[in-house]
Amino acid sequence: MLIGISLNQQNETRQPKECAVEMSGYLDTIAKQRCKLSFSKIFSYFAPRLRSYALKQIGNEALAMELVQDTMSNVWQKAHLFNSEKGSPSTWIFTIARNIRFDMLRKLKNRKEDVCSDDFWPILCEQTADTKSAPLDVQITLEQVGQYFNELPEKQQKVIEAIYIHGKSQQEVADDLEIPLGTVKSRTRLALQRLKDMLKEYD
Amino acid sequence: MIKFHPTVPTLQSFVEGSLPAADSLIVSTHCDMCLSCSNFTHSCTESTAYSIFSDIIKNDLSSRDYISMFESITRDSNLVNVNLFTLKKPWIELDGRKFELPATLTRFINRVGEWSHLMGTLWQAPIEIDGGSLVQLIYMEKGGSMPEHTHKGNEITLVLDGQFDDGKCSYTKGDYVALDQTHTHTPVSNVNEGCLVMVILDKPLHFTAGWAKLINPLSQLYFKVNTH
Repeated sequence: MLIGISLNQQNETRQPKECAVEMSGYLDTIAKQRCKLSFSKIFSYFAPRLRSYALKQIGNEALAMELVQDTMSNVWQKAHLFNSEKGSPSTWIFTIARNIRFDMLRKLKNRKEDVCSDDFWPILCEQTADTKSAPLDVQITLEQVGQYFNELPEKQQKVIEAIYIHGKSQQEVADDLEIPLGTVKSRTRLALQRLKDMLKEYD
Repeated sequence: MIKFHPTVPTLQSFVEGSLPAADSLIVSTHCDMCLSCSNFTHSCTESTAYSIFSDIIKNDLSSRDYISMFESITRDSNLVNVNLFTLKKPWIELDGRKFELPATLTRFINRVGEWSHLMGTLWQAPIEIDGGSLVQLIYMEKGGSMPEHTHKGNEITLVLDGQFDDGKCSYTKGDYVALDQTHTHTPVSNVNEGCLVMVILDKPLHFTAGWAKLINPLSQLYFKVNTH
């Protein structure tokens, strides 16, 4: 047992909604500082609750514990993928458990594993999971982009500015600049790709 | 404007992960196209999570078990580097027309099999799930129709593009239509661009009219059976 970390064995009786903000903070600390103390808070609250969910769903002690362990491992290892703007910690942790359960049950039924939960709910593997916006934009925030923006060719700058700063549609940009829609699309794509590469390079 | 949606219990089962894979595919694709169902599944996921985790459990596991689990999880302190991949927007091409696919279907693009001529102006391609062809893409050319049929099982149709009519209603892009044994219908596509739909059947169709009766014994060949 590590010094300073004790798992709270008292039953925490607060509702998930009431401690969402607090839990959200712990996830953030886990992601940024690999803080075991924060993880112990999350663990103490969620592990017994996950166990109860797993037992109800699967009815098998060993598999239920596997589900708890897999879920909590994902939380520990992928805390940086949690985004409080998309939902509460409870919701995120539930979706991880739900996905693991989905795959587990398919395996048990000897289904070919060619379909998996990620195909329907790509919460831990895909950036665009819940958004309908263009895929690349999500990865780049304006702030990050600012410094590299000037390095783009002028034509690409114009398109990016019109779409992302003035909020125009690609069609409107095509009309304004009197260029084909296809050109707007390819310039946008090239520019975003370029920005992404620059961000990666200077990261 | 999407008029036909999955029922609330269906959406709930989808959120809980308890729908079969083929049904999940079609519901998930509908949600990509339908803002209101997408919002509903969002809030349903949240309320499901809250209700699951608000159970107060009597602590029936020894602290030693939890501690050893905790320690084995945190032994490795590295974050897992996940290469989040982003979806490209693929499309399928059919009869010289390109159809953009909703996000869920794009993840299944590699499972779409060869297109084959079904009959008349109908084309189909299977989507491989579980190694069988449970889900079909069906393309009705303009004015194309399916022979009148009933269903021995359930049929779920999602309109991906275009519009079709079954004499009772007209269904457009995004509409999700679930039919069972009690329905007889003759779908016809009457718009310029034809109609692309995704269909799951759990039993072969049963054709009720005209020459198509001849192919009843063969309908298994056209529509494989979804056995779950």
